[in-house]
Amino acid sequence: MDLLNNLYTGFSIALTFNNIIYCLVGVLFGQIIGVLPGIGAPTAIALLLPLTFKANPTSALIMFAGIYYGVAYGGTITSVLINVPGESSTVMTCLDGYQMALKGRAGAALSVAAIGSFVAGTISVVILMAFAPALAKLALRFGPAEYFSLTLMAFGLLTVFGGEQPVKTVISTMLGLLIATIGLDVVSGMPRFAFGVPQLLGGFDFIVIICGMFGIAEVFCSIEEPEEGELLKSKFRLRDFFLTWQDWIASRWAIIRGGIIGFLVGIIPAGGITTASFLAYLAEKRASRHPERFGQGAIEGVAAPESANNAASISGFAPLLALGIPGSPTTAVMLAGFMMWGIRPGPLLFQTKPDLVWGLISSMYIGNFLLLLINIFLIPAFVALLRLPYTIIMGFIVIFASVGAYSVNNSLFDVWMMLGFAVLGYLMRKLNYPIVPLILALVLGNLSENSLRQTLIISGGSLSIFFTRPISAFFVIAAILAYLSPLIRWGWKRLRRGLVHAPSHPESNQSP
Amino acid sequence: MRMADLIGGVVVLLLGLAVVFFSSQLPYYSEYGPGPGFLPLWVGVVIVGCAMFVLVNVLRKHEKIGVFFKARTKLGLRVLAMIFITFLLLPLLGFSIGLGLFVGITMRIMGRHHWASCGLTSVVTAICIHLIFISWLTIPLPQGLIGW
Repeated sequence: MDLLNNLYTGFSIALTFNNIIYCLVGVLFGQIIGVLPGIGAPTAIALLLPLTFKANPTSALIMFAGIYYGVAYGGTITSVLINVPGESSTVMTCLDGYQMALKGRAGAALSVAAIGSFVAGTISVVILMAFAPALAKLALRFGPAEYFSLTLMAFGLLTVFGGEQPVKTVISTMLGLLIATIGLDVVSGMPRFAFGVPQLLGGFDFIVIICGMFGIAEVFCSIEEPEEGELLKSKFRLRDFFLTWQDWIASRWAIIRGGIIGFLVGIIPAGGITTASFLAYLAEKRASRHPERFGQGAIEGVAAPESANNAASISGFAPLLALGIPGSPTTAVMLAGFMMWGIRPGPLLFQTKPDLVWGLISSMYIGNFLLLLINIFLIPAFVALLRLPYTIIMGFIVIFASVGAYSVNNSLFDVWMMLGFAVLGYLMRKLNYPIVPLILALVLGNLSENSLRQTLIISGGSLSIFFTRPISAFFVIAAILAYLSPLIRWGWKRLRRGLVHAPSHPESNQSP
Repeated sequence: MRMADLIGGVVVLLLGLAVVFFSSQLPYYSEYGPGPGFLPLWVGVVIVGCAMFVLVNVLRKHEKIGVFFKARTKLGLRVLAMIFITFLLLPLLGFSIGLGLFVGITMRIMGRHHWASCGLTSVVTAICIHLIFISWLTIPLPQGLIGW
């Protein structure tokens, strides 16, 4: 009954004219950003964030959420038509989507991606409606020990999902924590790493960093390594988008499985939509009776990752709303937005701002429906965007990043800092230091440090408190396992190699 | 790339050592529990440890691991220099004109578009920046000596 009441509250907010327009603008922006190279959801939201300071927070968040899940839809277009993923979350779609396009089935590939995203997105919203309040209720029992161990687990999971070089992931996380400590210490009021520069006493604003590291740094990377591919000359007639009966049969379970995998991966801090689409593709290939068709234009190979990335982008809101812990760079930027509006996401948000929470969740039904329509009827318009010269896109990014950084404190100092972070972000990317851990650690840095200090004050300096509280102990053990995962993987590989190279008939080696 | 990785590792190591040094100047523990130097010190220690691991790894492996300077790196650096100059000129030119000029000039340098279309884009961009950010969103952007 509660669920229905919440749904009613949510729709009464999401269906106002103003919020529908915000949702439409968000999904359109998301779709466009997904199509355009060199700009992703976190960048787009970071660039728009300073401009929405005066907007209603619910409306602005509805728009940002629309951008987030809209990007996954838009990235599919480039994956299918030019074999270049518009977003990292659509990398797997290239494998079969482009092959389908080569066979003249681009319309069907885009269609199954849109339908899969819509169905899985809707499933994800339904589960989110039940899951997020339950998670928030559980989180009401969290004290500082649980919050610290939760952030520790989130940082640890970054080493699992973070990339090939876990040590560099840890360095990146530490850099984020370090940047978060710059400025006045909230407990003692003592300046840290400010070196007498008055502008540094307040610390670095998150928007300044994100505009630099995601916005401008991305420009340098895109100039250096342009995402080029040949656009397939496909004519899009409406009937090309209709799936055949065989297509429906082949993709129905892929969509459901992809949706469930996506939801589960999305709620894990640091899980992310890219991992979700990757795992869904692998799971689908393993579940298929004809795995050899994958990579040759199998429709399930498009349906599964596309469903998963959309479901994950929606379930990623569960840890953000219920715990105040972002699971991905995009939700990290949104957390910065919450802070900008003076709202603290977490378990109490469901009680203090039910209109915001349920309005945002309900808007996802509307947004997904709008995206389904857009992706069936407006594809040619988005394909035309692929012809936009990158110099224009680059100009837009530089303008929005500069204005965004300036508007934080109306200071040119922030604009220079933004450029400094852009250079740092560019160098980090070139040297294979991942950016995402830095951003997540930066956002969670204060929560992590304050919780740690509060816990140690409570326990009189004893670390055993993290193990005597069951929820905290669970998070700490998960964190330790996550940090050890590279070692475990390395050991497992050696063991397997040893087993393979071991002689299968030891007796044959015995001398007669 | 190996050299770049090595230099990167050394820079991270030096940063870690600096963090350890400066955080050791802050109180590690106070009467209310961990002090302001507590977390930064440990962060510095972990950075130093990880940087040493990276350095050892780079020195141990001898295979080639990609290229740092690529064919188009110069173009990226040119754009960085242009952004730098634009930011230097922002107090004089103002945001609208400064960023408008930046867009036009990068179009010319990178895209090799015709001067006329670059000039027109500059003017249109400057007008749009002024109308959207200064007039509509009322962001008090610097308007330079011309006052626009």
